[in-house]
Amino acid sequence: MLPALVLDDMSVSFDGALALQHVSGIVAAGDSVALIGPNGAGKSTLLRAILGLVPLAAGSIEVLGQAPKAARRQVAYVPQADTFDPQFPISVIDVVTMGRAPIIGWWRRPRSVDRRAAAAALERVGLSERSRDRFGTLSGGQRQRVLLARAICQEARLLLLDEPFNGVDAVTQTTLIDVLDELRANGVAVVMATHDLAVAHLACGDACLLNRDQIAFGPIDEVLNSRHLRATYGDRPWVHVGDQVILANAAPSTR
Amino acid sequence: MAWLTESFSLPFMQRALVIALIVGAVGGVLSAYVVIRRLAFFADTLTHTVFPGVAIASVLVQPLWIGALIAGLASTLAFTFLSRQRLVEDNAAMAVILTTFFAVGVMVVSRVTTFTNDLITLLFGQILTVDRGDIMASALLGGCAVLLTSVLHRELVARAFDPEGSAAAGRPVWALDLALNVAVTLVVVAALRAVGTVLVLALLVTPAATIRPWVRGVVPMAIGGALVGMSSGVIGLVIAYQASVERDVRLAPGATIVLVMTTVFALGSLAVWARRSIRHRVST
Repeated sequence: MLPALVLDDMSVSFDGALALQHVSGIVAAGDSVALIGPNGAGKSTLLRAILGLVPLAAGSIEVLGQAPKAARRQVAYVPQADTFDPQFPISVIDVVTMGRAPIIGWWRRPRSVDRRAAAAALERVGLSERSRDRFGTLSGGQRQRVLLARAICQEARLLLLDEPFNGVDAVTQTTLIDVLDELRANGVAVVMATHDLAVAHLACGDACLLNRDQIAFGPIDEVLNSRHLRATYGDRPWVHVGDQVILANAAPSTR
Repeated sequence: MAWLTESFSLPFMQRALVIALIVGAVGGVLSAYVVIRRLAFFADTLTHTVFPGVAIASVLVQPLWIGALIAGLASTLAFTFLSRQRLVEDNAAMAVILTTFFAVGVMVVSRVTTFTNDLITLLFGQILTVDRGDIMASALLGGCAVLLTSVLHRELVARAFDPEGSAAAGRPVWALDLALNVAVTLVVVAALRAVGTVLVLALLVTPAATIRPWVRGVVPMAIGGALVGMSSGVIGLVIAYQASVERDVRLAPGATIVLVMTTVFALGSLAVWARRSIRHRVST
């Protein structure tokens, strides 16, 4: 079976400065990969490159055997929920239905099959009763679930998520992890940017550690070790608070 | 209701009513998109960049709206190009384009002496002197603008809500932006004769801004905006006419329409504030 994503020594540069370099790896159908690294490490840049929104300086990306732009219909993207204008006049169900746009096409209106898919996706994230409410009236976690529902009803083969667990409640975290597991069982590949190592462990089998360079890519239990984390986050990557371990460094390291 | 029929018994008032309804409806619909895309400053830029077109049309004794349309579209293309190339930040691009076009207009005007009347039309509109041709031009331009936004409605809303997502889905975001910018340009030109460039901005922002807190969708916002625009047009004309006939007070009709719209906006905002404080009291 064709891998969902193949990264081959790819690099991205902005205005001549390298934002990300030497990233390689393969993501098979049903796999999930956590992109781990500090802010500015290139996680979002990598997601944008997979979407074909930024040009590559070197190397290549194949999505389901195609160039990223050609495969867009098969790729769903879940942006961070807190980047949206809470005043925007749009209902929850209309946000979810947007996920059907690549299937519906430019000129046609949503048909009953699209409405059913949107309603089912909203049901899956446990927000059916908020269907008619304005998107902006939902909590941050609920908005994140709505955006996930929008991605679900696109019926894509590759799902990209940008910091989906940022500042979300426990219900949302559990729902996200359950839904991602289901999607993977159905052969959907998942790539998510995160700096929450605990969640990465729960939701992903593989990890890609980034700090502009690729530090490591492989099974999460093997690559999440202290040597790699130091290389990713700098000399003091974590602090102990009681019996908890918390990543200390949110800024890019200056090795 | 005698005062209402009486206000519109004269032919010039009937023509004013027709153009006020057209411009109010079209401006109201477009205001929904201007508000969700935060294009108020862009609309303001256009009200200035049509100036050289009007000035040149005036010198060449051509219909003003044709000159305005050409200059408006030229500035829209220039802005969309600069914005897409990311050479400068959008606000700076608009400021450069606004002043450049306006300066050209000033140069043209400073070389002719016969421009005064056209200049007043341009700035403040002359809704009481519109003729059949003006009405046809407004209907045509406004109709095109509404058609453009209706056809692209879902894509325009998706792009306004989530530009990154729109691009990720493979939509040509810059083409959508250009289409909406052109639609706004058409409305600015359509409303020129009725309310003038200084006041057209009100039509392109206030109606949707009034409706926005009350609705959960862009379609109701556009329909509500059109109702606010049209009713403000009628009420403003009636007030201006009655003040002139009954009290011998001459109110500029275009300005009266805008102030009626502002009053509706103020009342709406007051109601939103009241609703909020009642809810707050109930919940505490």
